[in-house]
Amino acid sequence: YLWVLGSAKMELSDANLQTLTEYLKKTLDPDPAIRRPAEKFLESVEGSQNYPLLLLTLLEKSQENVIKVCASVTFKNYIKRNWRIVEDEPNKICESDRIAIKANIVPLMLSSPEQIQKQLSDAISIIGREDFPQKWPDLLTEMVNRFQSGDFHVINGVLRTAHSLFKRYRHEFKSNELWTEIKLVLDAFALPLTNLFKATIELCSTHANDASALKVLFSSLILIAKLFYSLNFQDLPEFFEDNMETWMTNFHSLLTLDNKLLQTDDEEEAGLLELLKSQICDNAALYAQKYDEEFQPYLPRFVTAIWNLLVTTGQEVKYDLLVSNAIQFLASVCERPHYKHLFEDQNTLTSICEKVIVPNMEFRAADEEAFEDNSEEYIRRDLEGSDIDTRRRAACDLVRGLCKFFEGPVTGIFSGYVNSMLQEYAKNPSVNWKHKDAAIYLVTSLASKAQTQKHGITQANELVNLTEFFVNHIQPDLKSASVNEFPVLKADGIKYIMIFRNQVPKEQLLVSIPLLINHLQAESIVVHTYAAHALERLFTMRGTNNTTLITAAEMAPFVEVLLTNLFKALTLPGSSENEYIMKAIMRSFSLLQESIIPYIPSVITQLTQKLLAVSKNPSKPHFNHYMFESICLSIRITCKANPDAVGSFEEALFMVFTEILQNDVQEFIPYVFQVMSLLLEMHKNEIPSSYMALFPHLLQPVLWERTGNIPPLVRLLQAYLERGANTIASAAADKIPGLLGVFQKLIASKANDHQGFYLLNSIIEHMPPESVDQYRKQIFILLFQRLQNSKTTKFIKSFLVFINLYCIKYGALALQEIFDSIQPKMFGMVLEKIIIPEIQKVSGQVEKKICAVGITKILTECPPMMDTEYTKLWTPLLQALIGLFELPEDDTIPDEEHFIDIEDTPGYQTAFSQLAFAGKKEHDPVGQMVNNPRIHLAQSLHKLSTACPGRVPSMLSTSLNAEALQYLQGYLQAASVTLL
Amino acid sequence: MPVMNEHGERMRKFKNKGKDAAALRRQRVEVSVELRKAKKDEQILKRRSISFGLRDESLSPGEEERNEIVRLSLEEIVEAVNGSNTKLQLQATQATRYAARLLCTGREVADGAAMGRVSRRHFFLFEELSEDLTKGEGAWRILSRQKDPPINQIIELGIIPRLVEFLTHADNAPLQFEAAWALTNIASGTSNHTKAVVEGGAIPAFVSLLSSPHMHISEQSVWALGNIAGDGPLYRDALINCNVIPPLLALVSPVTPVAFLRNITWTLSNLCRNKNPYPPLDAVKKMLPVLICLVKHEDRDVISDSCWAISYLTDGSNDRIQIVVDTGILPRLVELMASLELIIMTPALRAIGNIVTGTDEQTQAAIDAGVLAVLPHLLRHAKPTVQKEAAWTLSNIAAGPCQQIQQLITCGLLPPLVELLDKGDFKAQKEAVWVVANFMTGGTVEQVVELVHSGVLKPLLNLLLAKDSKTILVILDTISNLFLAAEKLGETERLCLLVEELDGLEKIEALQTHDNNMVYRAALSIIEKYFSGEENPDLQPGTGQDGLYDFSVEKQDFNF
Repeated sequence: YLWVLGSAKMELSDANLQTLTEYLKKTLDPDPAIRRPAEKFLESVEGSQNYPLLLLTLLEKSQENVIKVCASVTFKNYIKRNWRIVEDEPNKICESDRIAIKANIVPLMLSSPEQIQKQLSDAISIIGREDFPQKWPDLLTEMVNRFQSGDFHVINGVLRTAHSLFKRYRHEFKSNELWTEIKLVLDAFALPLTNLFKATIELCSTHANDASALKVLFSSLILIAKLFYSLNFQDLPEFFEDNMETWMTNFHSLLTLDNKLLQTDDEEEAGLLELLKSQICDNAALYAQKYDEEFQPYLPRFVTAIWNLLVTTGQEVKYDLLVSNAIQFLASVCERPHYKHLFEDQNTLTSICEKVIVPNMEFRAADEEAFEDNSEEYIRRDLEGSDIDTRRRAACDLVRGLCKFFEGPVTGIFSGYVNSMLQEYAKNPSVNWKHKDAAIYLVTSLASKAQTQKHGITQANELVNLTEFFVNHIQPDLKSASVNEFPVLKADGIKYIMIFRNQVPKEQLLVSIPLLINHLQAESIVVHTYAAHALERLFTMRGTNNTTLITAAEMAPFVEVLLTNLFKALTLPGSSENEYIMKAIMRSFSLLQESIIPYIPSVITQLTQKLLAVSKNPSKPHFNHYMFESICLSIRITCKANPDAVGSFEEALFMVFTEILQNDVQEFIPYVFQVMSLLLEMHKNEIPSSYMALFPHLLQPVLWERTGNIPPLVRLLQAYLERGANTIASAAADKIPGLLGVFQKLIASKANDHQGFYLLNSIIEHMPPESVDQYRKQIFILLFQRLQNSKTTKFIKSFLVFINLYCIKYGALALQEIFDSIQPKMFGMVLEKIIIPEIQKVSGQVEKKICAVGITKILTECPPMMDTEYTKLWTPLLQALIGLFELPEDDTIPDEEHFIDIEDTPGYQTAFSQLAFAGKKEHDPVGQMVNNPRIHLAQSLHKLSTACPGRVPSMLSTSLNAEALQYLQGYLQAASVTLL
Repeated sequence: MPVMNEHGERMRKFKNKGKDAAALRRQRVEVSVELRKAKKDEQILKRRSISFGLRDESLSPGEEERNEIVRLSLEEIVEAVNGSNTKLQLQATQATRYAARLLCTGREVADGAAMGRVSRRHFFLFEELSEDLTKGEGAWRILSRQKDPPINQIIELGIIPRLVEFLTHADNAPLQFEAAWALTNIASGTSNHTKAVVEGGAIPAFVSLLSSPHMHISEQSVWALGNIAGDGPLYRDALINCNVIPPLLALVSPVTPVAFLRNITWTLSNLCRNKNPYPPLDAVKKMLPVLICLVKHEDRDVISDSCWAISYLTDGSNDRIQIVVDTGILPRLVELMASLELIIMTPALRAIGNIVTGTDEQTQAAIDAGVLAVLPHLLRHAKPTVQKEAAWTLSNIAAGPCQQIQQLITCGLLPPLVELLDKGDFKAQKEAVWVVANFMTGGTVEQVVELVHSGVLKPLLNLLLAKDSKTILVILDTISNLFLAAEKLGETERLCLLVEELDGLEKIEALQTHDNNMVYRAALSIIEKYFSGEENPDLQPGTGQDGLYDFSVEKQDFNF
């Protein structure tokens, strides 16, 4: 080796260049056995002095182009990894290399071919981010000087670099440091940039007939316009205010400029002219939003220019960004009160509607293509509102903007268009169907003022008669004999029902339901997906009394055909894992309830087959989720009517579940646990042996390493404990340490400790005391350790609930004894340091009740509280309990805890339920034993006072504060008892 | 959650509920670097020309004066001032003064504004951000951009010390006056010009001329001293140390002509101006009683400048604010804030705005003086800068305890706030966002509900499209706070729907790709927390006709 690994310095010798060349070449080798060691080697030597300079030499002088490019990429990545100096870490690039790089990189970048120029330009901006301006004072001057070169290849290199240096001004927060830098940049850069802008525009007219020159010049103009945006973003700089005339006049004329030579044949990709105009629209929008006062004189001109631009721009996809930017500009301006006058003339409004809005709402060839060939994307855009940059959406926003001031006139103008488009359609539907599509879209955008996924349109334009349009123009399409004719119009119609479901009367919705069910059979993916989605949405609508709008009774005639068509739709090409259909299945089950029972055998077979199929390669999370929800619903609905049916479900499902568990299908395992919990909870008697066989496997550490498994597994173990605590104690006593091991694992984690408490609470509540006797002390020791070493509010809350539950289950004396057996006076310490000061933090009704009952027991059923040194804690504890009853919850969280990753809210219950329909009932371990904890306290105190007359009142009168005493007297009165 | 800046600090305070109002108040100065052009104000221009007009009328009308001035070359000027011929001295001094004055006029034309020293401070008045610049370099750069004026040569030729010497010629009042005038004009130039005047020894000379038996000479001295004081804290304190205040205050009497009083007031205001350091407390205490009288004067210029003085004095720490509050001037300031005269309303608003950056008690004093009754008009004012100042003021009141927030509601501030948020100028909208942010942080749940009912959400969410990362972040944090309040009321789901209905959801979703890390994280956290489980709230409500499978019903009878 010429280099010793990690050696301090490499000579800038030919030999080294040669070696480096060889390694670089190897990094391009497709064989990882050759590539990886070479990459490793390069990384191992990159700390050496001169390494970056060797790379720069290679990228400049190597004979092979591929090495040049490779060296430039390696160089950029090297800079990216190493340039930043991190505090307390060694400087990874030696100072002389830094200086040499900064001295050479700009000229090198500018003289390099484009491919390398881009890499170096990136490297400069990375360096610039760290060093500019203080540690790289001459960068700006160096760049600006190149503007004089007249070589637009060089100039564009400078502009590109400047753009990557300055574009952060667009998103960073205002600060002294940032603004000082911007000021410096403005002082050095603004004037030369302005001059360059003017000069470039002049050159554009001198070279108006030279296509290749124009391309270079327009690339410069685009970069200049982008720089303008960056430099003007934070605030309006003095220089640009003074030179607004120059910039805006030129921007304005560029907007109106056209040159055949710059037009491209490509229909998809935006050309230079479009990119430039689009950026100018952004620049104008920036000024209109932020510097309205200064920009006002120019704004009307821009409105006119942009509007003319829209009128003259074609339908091709390449213009989409420009058109949607331009329309958005108009939309934002027309909502401003002081520009209202620019739009209010009836002729202006008519032209905007006719020439800007209507044409951009038309269904284009590209849309048709997406509808047929890329339906998933089409649905996403059309249904889920990911259409922000589309023309239709922009046009729709403009309609809504105009409606703010001109709702009446705009509605009037469009009504005319809608009618004429519908007439066109009626003349020859098979040719003119797109006219109807546009008409529907227009009505939709005109009518919708506010919309949500959950409710569809929530506010509509009152000037549009939605029901009439529905009856006359939407229903006929859906009633036509063929579900496959004019699929776009069918999709429009279905969407219309979906979004206006809250505006159209219920009778009409009921009429539509069989039509929608029928369209589940349509071949078009969009159509049957929309049909499923519309049904699903209709089924979630609320009627009076918080019930569903559409009732199961109303659906009765359609149950069979609905279920048949839904499951058949899953067999249509392209929809085998269609989440909308699966969600509709889930929703239908939930709505139809017991009327699905006759179909369950067939349904559960189809669902398990589907489950088996997708478990090979789960790829659609939503689909999978709704599938499991549907399974849960099948179980719940059936077992509610016939509890014994749980066995047949287990029979149908366990085989697939076993396969999923065996193949470790990670996406599905948490679901499987939840379904199993549901099934297990359905059993009335002791736990079936099939479950017990699985029990040891559930304690496997590997399962608990995955955080996603933890909540459902805890829930499942809780179900085991509720149903089978005795079985576990008798038949699986040897697994108890493993079970407690899980608890220990969970309690060790700040994120999962509450899950550990859920498990522990179930163990204490359900396991026969003798079976856990030998472990109890150990459990408390563990908890105390956590308390000592890393207590958090969440832990304390769970801890308090637990010890009070323990107290209820085993008695207050047992609690005191076990504490004090761990360490003398431990009980007093816990009372004083934890319970009394922190009890106010406990949240949740059940949790508070547990604590109230537990503390009442400590106060009234624990002799050492009356006759040892613990007595001094009696009144403070009572006061804390009264506080728990009466004071607002203390939800302060110490500073450092804001940043803990709390995945779940703590509480007694397993709050986690990913599957809503596998939901767990809320469990109150105190239950009917105590209905009103305040009365219970009064009664318990009364009982205590009869046992030792005189003591209680005297303790109360000595140190309970007046307010608490008053509350307490209230409880005593309510319980009709007096203290002796 | 953002924690790095003042704003993160606010969030932290919120979470801990240990709300510290002082931490919420936003002092005027955030960033001391300025990119904007310094603002000119037409009212100020008028004042300057009036002053000059009055001045020239009373002494020598401009037309005649130009005829009288003898044209002299620089060499001749130097020779004359250094010679002993008093007549030539007078002529040369006049010529110098005229050269300096022409300069001023020239600048006036060039900038389209009077950039003379008289209005110099007004560069700062409207752009608080430049205030921190030591010695006002930022604003002066504008002046120094003008081509090199001949006055520089005059200075280089060492004429100033001679002119200062002329000031002491008590036997030759005309010469004294001309010298004072010339020096005034020079001192109205750039900082360097002022420096030359000061270094020429002018301060003590002018201070003693305050007591000149000739009123026009003492008035000219007041003017000159005003220009010197306005240069920055250094010369201001030099003047104070030269004991300028007692003779200056002595000039104020019921018989002082109004024009003279205006000059005195302006000079006093310059003596109150500038921070880093603030003017010495004992000096402030000496000037304050007189300023309080002047605020009650009836002349608009006197009122305006005395208000400016008060605004400077309140632009500081709470103990400085307290000194002003203790004078009982607040009701008068609020009255002036309601004035239709921009030159009066502007500094009064500014002073009140400064006062409410103070303690809760100081803010309460402003509220008791009636500030909340005036703010609605100002929030709707046609001038964007006024809207902005008013909203800033309101944002600090909203940072107070919930009782003060309640007063803000009771006095009908919510409708104009919502209007401003919706349609105001961008600068004012940004301040309005802060009002909402502070309100949401400090208000009770009921107050927050009232704010939402007033329609604040729609314009607030629209501003998520603002081209300003900070504003976006403040809005996102405000929305998070609102969700916390909604959670307490069990109204999370309704708020989710409302946000979606108002097109807020898609805006927040779009912000998940914002280039600013803090913005994208804040957006992400809202989406994850409230909108990602889109299905769950959906799934829970009763879908069964008999309610049996309604989730909550289920919970109850799900008993094995």
